[in-house]
Amino acid sequence: MKWIKIACIILLTYVTIAGFLFDVPELPILNEAIRVMFFHVPTWFTMIFLLFISALNAYYFISKGTINYDLKSREYASVGIFFGILGIVSGMIWAKFTWGTYWTNDPKLNGSALSLLIYFSYFVLRGSVRDQTKKAKISSVYNIFAFAMLIPLIFILPRMTDSLHPGNGGNPGFNVYDMNSQLRIIFYPAVIGFILLGIWITKLRLRLRFLNQKN
Amino acid sequence: MLKKIFIIIKKDLKIDLSQGHMFFSVALYLISSIFIVYLSFGSLGIKDLNTWVSLFWVIILFGAITSISKSFLYESKNRNYYYYFLFTPTELIFSKLIYNFIFLSLLCFVAFGFYSLLVGNFIKSISFFSLFLFVGAFSISNCLTLISAISNQVRNNSAIMSVLSFPIILPILLILINISKISVSYFSWNLVEDDIYLLILLNIIVLVLSKILFSFLWRA
Repeated sequence: MKWIKIACIILLTYVTIAGFLFDVPELPILNEAIRVMFFHVPTWFTMIFLLFISALNAYYFISKGTINYDLKSREYASVGIFFGILGIVSGMIWAKFTWGTYWTNDPKLNGSALSLLIYFSYFVLRGSVRDQTKKAKISSVYNIFAFAMLIPLIFILPRMTDSLHPGNGGNPGFNVYDMNSQLRIIFYPAVIGFILLGIWITKLRLRLRFLNQKN
Repeated sequence: MLKKIFIIIKKDLKIDLSQGHMFFSVALYLISSIFIVYLSFGSLGIKDLNTWVSLFWVIILFGAITSISKSFLYESKNRNYYYYFLFTPTELIFSKLIYNFIFLSLLCFVAFGFYSLLVGNFIKSISFFSLFLFVGAFSISNCLTLISAISNQVRNNSAIMSVLSFPIILPILLILINISKISVSYFSWNLVEDDIYLLILLNIIVLVLSKILFSFLWRA
């Protein structure tokens, strides 16, 4: 547990300094705005990772029936959604400077907004049931179903149509060809750092929740 | 297993036929929403293919949510215990799914008839679109049956059903709208191939998930 915190602090400090100060390749359209990649893309990766763990815990709850798994599933989902909101906000700020508008009708943007909506309705569902075991059972079932529908929404649908988003439709961006070693040495630590941060926040929230439950 | 599925379908059909108002209420709901669309566009009507297709599927979606949300509602608590000893959860969810599919495809054709009568008909190849209506009805009812089983466990379920189903059904609805847009004017397999494969894949995922997840839901 301790190494997560140390690694997270070191990696994120490095990413914050290096992300703003190191040289980045000059690409058309993007220019210096490419620096958002070190913060925007890892938040989405973190969201997917945390939601996956949430669905995994929901599955554990269904198969084993221990209520702790349901609490874990809930906390991972809520922290995952928090990172999703961060991703959307950072993307919107970036879009304002690159595309000139906060929001466009783009499959990638809509997919991400919808994934947030799906999980908001997960919390609405949790709020509408009183009985704890019943709540856990229903929401676990919905969680697994929602995660399974999230995959085509985020990974398949946007790839079937053209998109303004960097990396799609011939726009320069974050795909394999444009990603040189200058970006990689900041991007990969950023991904790991943000995922560790997500796990850390969730562990703290879970500790608080378990303590509340004991009292 | 098939025999038991048919028994449940027959029972549902009998209940609906004897009460009678279920199908007609949803059909009336669809027809009046089509009439609202017709009146709100005024004498000009819809000239644009995109608007025509999107509005059609949105109307179908609203009708589907209203009808499918009731699919577990008539089952009282005592009858659920009775089912528990007679049928496996797989038989129950599949019978509900097939029943919803039949119900929704009937509704789709009623809606399509009235829609093309009032708003205008853009369809060039009727045969493909009729086939596609079945596919669409199956995909929508497939996705909504599990959600209606989930929302049935919640007490005030009318609002929960739509909250849960709208974001989840959206990928399927987008693919349906996409395929109809392409195929309405000139049908060509090359253009819709990817979308159709994706639709089949999604349906398989949902089918497998409803089979697995419903057994957990049912045990409560």
